Amino acid sequence: MSNLLQEIESKISGAQTSVAKQNVGIVREIGDGVAKIEGLTDAMLNEMLDFGNGVTGLALNLEETEVGAVILGDYTGIKEGQEVRTTGKLLSVPVGKGLLGRVVNTLGLPLDGKGPIKSDVSYPVEKIAPGIIKRKSVGQPLQTGIMAVDAMIPIGRGQRELIIGDRSTGKTTIGIDTIISQAVQNRAAEAAKDTSYRPVYSIYVAVGQKQSNIARVIAVLEEAGAMPYTIIVSASASDSATNQYLAPFAGCSMGEWFMDNGMDALIIYDDLSKHAVAYRQVSLVLKRPSGREAYPGDVFYLHSRLLERSARVNEKYGNGSLTALPIIETQMGDVSAYIPTNVISITDGQIYLETDLFYQGVRPAVSVGLSVSRVGSAAQIKAMKQVAGRIKLDLAQFRELAAFAQFGSDLDAATQAKIERGKRVVEIFKQPQFSPLLVEVQSVILWAAQNGYFDDVAVEKVKDFQKKLVDYLTNRKADLMGRLSKEKAFSDAIAGDFKSAIAEFKQTYK
Amino acid sequence: MSKQAKRDAKSLFRNCQINGILDEKRVLQTVDEVLKRKPRGFGAILSHFQRLIKLDEAARTAKIESATALTPDLQNNYKEILTKRYGQGLYFIFQENPGLLGGVRVQVGSDVFDGTVRARLNELNESFKAA
Ligand SMILES: Nc1ncnc2c1ncn2[C@@H]1O[C@H](COP(=O)(O)OP(=O)(O)O)[C@@H](O)[C@H]1O
Ligand SMILES: [Mg+2]
Repeated sequence: MSNLLQEIESKISGAQTSVAKQNVGIVREIGDGVAKIEGLTDAMLNEMLDFGNGVTGLALNLEETEVGAVILGDYTGIKEGQEVRTTGKLLSVPVGKGLLGRVVNTLGLPLDGKGPIKSDVSYPVEKIAPGIIKRKSVGQPLQTGIMAVDAMIPIGRGQRELIIGDRSTGKTTIGIDTIISQAVQNRAAEAAKDTSYRPVYSIYVAVGQKQSNIARVIAVLEEAGAMPYTIIVSASASDSATNQYLAPFAGCSMGEWFMDNGMDALIIYDDLSKHAVAYRQVSLVLKRPSGREAYPGDVFYLHSRLLERSARVNEKYGNGSLTALPIIETQMGDVSAYIPTNVISITDGQIYLETDLFYQGVRPAVSVGLSVSRVGSAAQIKAMKQVAGRIKLDLAQFRELAAFAQFGSDLDAATQAKIERGKRVVEIFKQPQFSPLLVEVQSVILWAAQNGYFDDVAVEKVKDFQKKLVDYLTNRKADLMGRLSKEKAFSDAIAGDFKSAIAEFKQTYK
Repeated sequence: MSKQAKRDAKSLFRNCQINGILDEKRVLQTVDEVLKRKPRGFGAILSHFQRLIKLDEAARTAKIESATALTPDLQNNYKEILTKRYGQGLYFIFQENPGLLGGVRVQVGSDVFDGTVRARLNELNESFKAA
């Protein structure tokens, strides 16, 4: 070699110190979308791995002699003996307001054909939940607009409330209604230039559902004008188990961004039963040991670390929140199966939907006795607190007495009256889908029921009476409604005015 | 493969190390001994043992590839730098690979330092694809 060449050579090798270290491995085995890779001694859990040609994998099993990775996307081109490298990056998704109005997949890539996502920030999909020092107790309501829920199972911002029931009992509908309700309230506050109202942004994560179901949800949200405040993360039944397993975590990161930036967000996981099944499948191909119902032993941890990320953070950290409504689908009402028990124990309460009620026409089919919210009542506005406590009691008494009355025993007048009141309250709580009610409206209806204004209305006319009463109050007594929404309580003065207003309405009602 | 077999293989492997460096004589003795006694699941134990040896060998092998042959001086230079970084007991392979076009690629175990022209061209190519 000439001197010149040698000199160049040594210059190049002198520059070696500036060459970044990479960590590589060799594919030893590939199948089912999972690669076993020898080497990669520096790989981190959940690190993205570069398989070349734009194919990415995710390191999920770190063992002494090899790394187990799932391939995100097309794995047919991957061959044994091929080189793989670490990227130093954890699996991340784009976050931010640019995602609102969009439908994306697990990686945050658009599925709606509306062009690239505008985002310059990304979050890893697995993040550590806010610690106890950052958290604050739940104190502000998240109005679902569903009267049975807001009155009897109230949800606070930052809470985790499970929606549980058999298939086709209205679980998804409750989630969608809640999203629509947020959009309605956000828009109302914008129109009124009410800067004290904290808007709620929603994320709907569809896991393992049929494409047609997801399309229906999107159509409903679009129709209701809720999309500008909503992100949809979709991993349908036809997506890989890996994508289904990761989708809730991706959605959660998008929600966390709002929380971290001092805003409020709501996330619906529809549903975690299918999520657990997807995780079982991923674990199976990674040959992880399995336990009860063939689920991997850490499926509890999977759901707890997901739901732990919902919180309300305190003022010092921006006062943001992430409320979670996970959905679980039971089989024949069995809440004692493995996954339901796990998720029940992680959440702050549950909205339990019953098939029997659904078919009796009680919709939403909320079981009052079996549903609880362990933290939400602290977040109810005063007007609602004033009426809701008694209503729940009335309803519970009614259930007992109604069962008793079936035996045909003679009932005294007081008992008879309680039963009649109860029948009307059941009617009042029936609510069609996609029509959320504002909390002032809900509390006035319940106040009227409690003060006997429904007692002389025939049971089958209750819904009609309710609707016309609400129309009358919102159109003709807008001032009074305005006072109630400002004061948020039934003061003596407001109660007196409602008494005369409702009496007036009853004169005209036929 | 059972966890027990992996554990057994690992402890045999540790017994073959002297001051953290694998001793070839002990490795061969161990294999002979296991084959003589044939403990339960010895097939699995030996195959995992072999795997550990292979990985250890890979981790101790430094492969230095360059487009043109390196002078003995430069070779020594590399040996010194790599020993400083990875410790004693490295086994060095120097290889000529004109396909790299220029520069040097060093691999020790699964660590790679790639400063070749080929790697930079590949990177450039990928960056065009991504855009
Ligand atoms: N409050 C309601 N009033 C009338 N129909 C409802 C109501 N809630 C749900 N439904 C109907 O019941 C069916 C099942 O609801 P869905 O929310 O999809 O159930 P799930 O998610 O539990 O399977 C849907 O056709 C839906 O339109
Ligand atoms: Mg559903």
